[in-house]
This record gives sequence, C-alpha cells and structure tokens, in this order.
Amino acid sequence: MEKKYLIQEFEQVTPEQLLPRVKEMKKGGYRLGQACATKQADGNIFVMYSFDLDHVLHNLKVNVPADLKLQSVTGDYWSAFIYENEMHDLFGITFENLALDYGGRFFKVSEPTPWNPQN
Amino acid sequence: MGKRTIIPFGPQHPVLPEPIHLDLVLEDEVVVDVIPSIGYIHRGLEKLVEKKEYTEMVYVIERICGICSFGHGWGASASIEGAMGIEVPERAEYLRTIWHELSRIHSHLLWLGLLADGFGFESLFMHCWRIREHVLDLFEKTTGGRVIFSVCKVGGVRKDIDAATLKEISDTLNALKPEIKKLTDVFLEDASVKNRTVGVGVLTKEDAIELGAVGPVARGSGVYQDIRLTGNGAYHELGFEPMIEEAGDCYARTKVRIRELFQSIELITKAVELIPEGPIDVPVKGNVDGEFVLRLEQPRGEAYYYAKGAGTKFLERMRVRTPTNQNIPSLVKMLKGCDLADVPILVLTIDPCISCTER
Amino acid sequence: MATFKIGKVVLGSLFKKPATRMYPVVAREWQDRTRGHVEIDVTSCITCGICQRKCPANAITVSRDTRTWEIQRMQCVQCGACVDNCPKKCLTMKPEYTAPGGEKVIDTFNIPEAPKPAAPAAPAADGDAAAPAAGGGLKCDTDSCVFCGLCARNCPCSAITVNRDEKQWTVDKSACVQCGLCVEKCPKKCLVIE
Repeated sequence: MEKKYLIQEFEQVTPEQLLPRVKEMKKGGYRLGQACATKQADGNIFVMYSFDLDHVLHNLKVNVPADLKLQSVTGDYWSAFIYENEMHDLFGITFENLALDYGGRFFKVSEPTPWNPQN
Repeated sequence: MGKRTIIPFGPQHPVLPEPIHLDLVLEDEVVVDVIPSIGYIHRGLEKLVEKKEYTEMVYVIERICGICSFGHGWGASASIEGAMGIEVPERAEYLRTIWHELSRIHSHLLWLGLLADGFGFESLFMHCWRIREHVLDLFEKTTGGRVIFSVCKVGGVRKDIDAATLKEISDTLNALKPEIKKLTDVFLEDASVKNRTVGVGVLTKEDAIELGAVGPVARGSGVYQDIRLTGNGAYHELGFEPMIEEAGDCYARTKVRIRELFQSIELITKAVELIPEGPIDVPVKGNVDGEFVLRLEQPRGEAYYYAKGAGTKFLERMRVRTPTNQNIPSLVKMLKGCDLADVPILVLTIDPCISCTER
Repeated sequence: MATFKIGKVVLGSLFKKPATRMYPVVAREWQDRTRGHVEIDVTSCITCGICQRKCPANAITVSRDTRTWEIQRMQCVQCGACVDNCPKKCLTMKPEYTAPGGEKVIDTFNIPEAPKPAAPAAPAADGDAAAPAAGGGLKCDTDSCVFCGLCARNCPCSAITVNRDEKQWTVDKSACVQCGLCVEKCPKKCLVIE
C-alpha cells in the first residue's frame, strides 16, 4: 500500500482565483474535506480549503484581505456552510453569498469573534 | 398539503448525550426542512496551542472527546511528527494501530447500545455496554485509563505492551466474538429492530459524495472511502479492506459498523502476530517549523488534523476537524422527508459527537 | 423474519452473576498502570517548577519562596506529563482515584530545605529564592569540556547553549532551575552546581 498520507499538496491562490479554482475542483470530482482559518504570527489570517480525491488531499490557501471579506464556496459545496459560519463567528471573516447564514449565531460565544487577532 | 409546524429538537433530548439543536419544519408528520445549530459547548481548545507547548498539547487535544480520544492523541502527535519530519519506530506504529482498533471496538459497541436505547430496546443496550466493559478493562490494563489514554506522545508511544498482555488482548477479544455475534444478530435479524432501520433515512451514493460524508455514513452508502487505506499506522501491513454496504439506509450504516467490529478484532489479532520488537519512541528536540495535514479513520469517520508551527515551542495552529462536523450536512439531507418518529434514530446513525465537533 | 432474537441472551443472564459490582461494598481492583493520582516524594523535590510548566491543566503550583508544592486534585487530568518530565523523579502516578467530593480539594506539600553538600548552610531563606539569578548556579569547567552538547540536549528548560565550533558554553541563569540533569549526563563531569 502506498503511503498516500505523506503527500502534502498546498496551493496558494488569490481571493479572486478561489471561486474558479473551487469550481474546477468540483468538476474534477473532489469532495470538500474541511475549511479552516489560521492566524499567522504577523497578524494576517489565511483560510485553507481541503479537497479529497481518491484519498489524496489537495489544499487551497487564500490570504484573507484586510477587509476580512471572502466569497463563499457554498454555491458549489453546500456543506461548507458549517465551516464558513464557524470562521465567521470565531475569526470575524465575512463570507459573501453564504447559502445558509446564521448571522453570527452559529457558535454561542461570550464575546464576538474571539480568535480575531484584533481582539 | 398540511400546515407547516416547526418543532425544536434538542439541545436536551433523551437520545442525545450531547447538545445539538435541530429546528424541524414539519408538514403533518413529515420533516420537510431542517436547520441544525450547534455551539452550546464550544471550549476553544484549539486556541490553547498558543499557551501550551506542543508536547503537552497532545494531552489537551486528546481530551476533545471521551470516545475517540486515542485517535485524537494519535492525530495530534502524528501531524506534529509530520511537520517536524520525525519517523516513528515500527513497534510504536503497531501499538498505535492496536489501541486505535480497540477504541473502534469500544466506540462501535457504545454506539450499538445507544442505537438500541434510541428505539427503546433497553436490554440490548445494557448487554452491548456489558461487553464494552471488557474492552475498557483491556484499555485500563495497557494504558492506565479507561477512556482517556494519554499513551501517544510526539515521537512514539509512552507505554509498551509486553507479549503476554498482547496475547491476552487478542484472546479476550476472540473469546468475546461469539457474545458480540449474539447481540449483533439481534440488530441484523430481529424483526422489531429491522422495522426501525430498513429503508429509513436513505442517503444515496451521489449525495454522500456531494455532501462530503465520511466514515460509516459514506461506506453505508457505497462510497469506497476509508482513511486507513492511506497507509498510516500499520494498516498497510495488515491487509486492510474497507467494509462497504450499498443501501444507504440506517440498516446499512448499522451493518457497516457491525462488520467493522469483527474486522477490528481480526486486525488486532493479526497485528499481535506481526508486531516487531524494537524501541517505542524516538527522542524529540527542537521546535516545530512547518506544516502538515494528517487524516485518520476514527470510529466515526475521517478526522482531520492540521499542525502548523512557526519555529517557537508553541504551535501556530492545531486544527482538528472531526467526523461529526463533516456528517452534519448529510444528516440534514437524510432528515428531509423522514417521519418525525424516525428523527432520533437518524440523528444517532451518524454517531454524533458534539463535543468533538465544537472542540 | 426472526422475532425476539435476544430472548436467549436475556434468559441466560438470569442465571449468571451480575456483570456489575456492589459499589462501594466491593472494592475496585486497580491495575498497575491505572493513572489515579499524582504523589510527590517531598525529600527529593528541588522546587524547580518544571511540572508546573508542563501541566496541561494548570493544576500544579510550585512556590520557591514558601517551598510548597500544591496540586488541585479536581483540576488534574492524570495525563502524567509532570511525572515524565520531573528531573528528580520525585513524582509518581498512583493507581487509586481521588475520592469523590463536593468541594475542590487542593493538596499542599511542604518541601523541606534540601541539604546542599556543595554550599553548606550558605543559602538563607531569602538567598534561596534569588539563587538562580544571583552568583552561584550552574558552572562549566571549560578546560575539560569537550562541547559535546549533551547537557544542552538534556536540559528541560533549554537554558544551556553549546557552540561546538567556537568552543563556547553559556547558561541562561534566569531559565536554569538547577535541576542537575545536565550534571548527571555530562560525560566529562565538568559541570557543577554551586
């Protein structure tokens, strides 16, 4: 058996390239594995979408612009609504055209956007 | 067409050990729409990486869940090992595999019990948990804990199992097999149980892929997907093949888990035969600088770990995405069109673990 | 279709011993490895505080000033990180669980003043707290040192840096807790805690 878990594919994309790239993934038969945001040491946030095809992961990284706005991928992968609402509530990233928007009420947090570097 | 009613389900409900809330939109008795909401027990454990050194963080990550705790410990250690480029000794990989499969047995027995409880079959529930107790005893003997094991560490495992105890593990499990068989036959053959599971909550193969279902939910719908096939642990030497069922209903998901139970016993027996001698850990020094994504097949499905270091003794990010998180969209899909009375069973068949989901 | 498949199991268990124990009348059998509670051997503790730093649950408080070692029993998660990291091996994991109770128990242990053969009666009560930062502390006899770096690799506090090329040995006195692990590991016996 091949050690597929050692294959690490990271691809950096710009916020504009994200949606077209996600559409390509969808066409290629990829399944959305997860999405998460990461706060870097310099205070910037990047979002990572992971896609799986035949047990190999392909990760798309997007640097979040200063206005903390990204296009939602829920148009192609509806199941991303969980991750995008989570990122909205914890990091304060706004996703445009979110299919199922909880408006900040997905996680019950005592203070808004606790993991945003500005807080 | 009847009048629409919204029925709240949870966060407190007899079948739910943990809080999830569903707003069920009903037309007469039929569910037409579902809005899930979680977030009642968000603890922010991922954030602790900024305050706890990565070697101790493993023990924190492990406590995300009380059932798949071994998998979480393994996932956290292995993702950090990957980022640091550490290769773990083979014996440690075998020990991890044995413990991981043991936790699959205990998790599936727990789940079978909960399912029986879900449709009101109390004696079946008790008997499932009676057998699970033997597995927990094996855990306590080998790791020192019944549900939280703390045996995984970055660089290997903390405790070895001697040959006699390994033999005892496989003997105990093989002796339990006929007893488990008696109970699983009830799930698979008893008419009253089948009435509640066959044909209920069908998730088609296309939907399962589209919604990113993982674990027994995906395999119950005929998707060939099991992270144990990616070659981590010792699975590649044990001749592993995933258990697939085509029907996609509650019965198929139950059957997948039951077949996995027996498969896990086989895997452990084989691992006990093949386990090599040697060291169980390698020394770890230095800080994490780099990133690594690792996935593990936990009892509930694919779990995802992302470790990113920035050259300090604290990690920059430790992301844990648990199987339930990924299965909630599939649950929403399954619930649409089912009867209100079937909702508890359907919620149970994805084996929800909300503490995992929210970390 | 089969009905009442469980009948045999249920009827069979009528004639068997119960699977449960009469708690608390029948005592539980502890396994050797059971992680129940942490115990401390106060005589060999040097109040270095490594256990406090390594504890994932912040259950341990070590005070060098008052020479106490404190553990919040209900906070402790029995992971054993302190036991693994203790340089003096004065912590042990015992199998018995802490007794259940309505109040959060905090156990405080007094650490007796360690008799130090190197500096007899020198560190007074106030001098002891300041010891790591002040004069004394860890010293290396650089004449016999081979700059192997074993001390740096074994230091739990990463306080020692060894530069092999430039033959330099430095210790960060604010980070050093004088646990003595490096002294034990040194192959040339050129390290000494004063």
